[in-house]
Amino acid sequence: MGYPDNAVYAVAGYIIASAVILAYSVSLFLRIRNER
Amino acid sequence: MTKRDVALQLLRRGWVLTLGALAGLVIVYTRVAFFTPIESTQGPAQKIFYVHVSSAWASLGAFAVTGILSLLYLWRRDRKLDTVAEASAEVGLMFGVIMLTTGPIWGKVVWGTWWDWDAKLTSTLFLFLLFIGYTVLRGAVADLDTRARFSAVIGVLSLVLVPFIFLSVHMFRTLHPKPPVLRAGGPSMPAAMLITLLFSVFVFSVLYVGFVTLRYALAVLKELRAEEAAHGIS
Repeated sequence: MGYPDNAVYAVAGYIIASAVILAYSVSLFLRIRNER
Repeated sequence: MTKRDVALQLLRRGWVLTLGALAGLVIVYTRVAFFTPIESTQGPAQKIFYVHVSSAWASLGAFAVTGILSLLYLWRRDRKLDTVAEASAEVGLMFGVIMLTTGPIWGKVVWGTWWDWDAKLTSTLFLFLLFIGYTVLRGAVADLDTRARFSAVIGVLSLVLVPFIFLSVHMFRTLHPKPPVLRAGGPSMPAAMLITLLFSVFVFSVLYVGFVTLRYALAVLKELRAEEAAHGIS
């Protein structure tokens, strides 16, 4: 018996996590640049 | 060493930690995708586990740190404690967004529903909303000491809620599973999965420290600018 075909859920989870981390990194970078 | 030197040193350390953790994240993703086995009943969707657990660890840990620093602030009245508590709360919210989005995605696959109002999920959402309130409050109070005191009182509540969230799966019947690693009898997963999970938790922890260091340095720079403005230096 094969695995359930649900890889799309995992991909969605990792895309969201990456987007949130990247957005916060950029937000920190821009805020720091404005203060320096 | 001047205040500006301290801020610049923190920035350097913060960026080294953050960029190192972001590189580590690429390794985690590669390991999850190609070197970690697929769970036999849940299928590939179970791989959300490695990012969900790590972000939950970082988020709840961040809120707990804010709680401890808030308690220390109420005792010592040291403004630095309040500034680090604020930094930790903001980073905790960021990880909280990941925890509260990856959890329902995984839940939809294994439970058949995006959300369930059980003790663990509800109290986690409540903690997240509490820290949104914490952030809103900080923006609404201008006086620095009043702001620090009021927000510390909210921050301390996490010291009650975080342990409750961890214990809720043992105290109530919940859809959310019990922790697979920190349990009596040892971890309940194959070594390859456990190594990926522990490495992911480590990378998220370093990312947390990097972000908090940068956020703290940002607060010091803002303070400096305010002091310079008060003294008429442009």
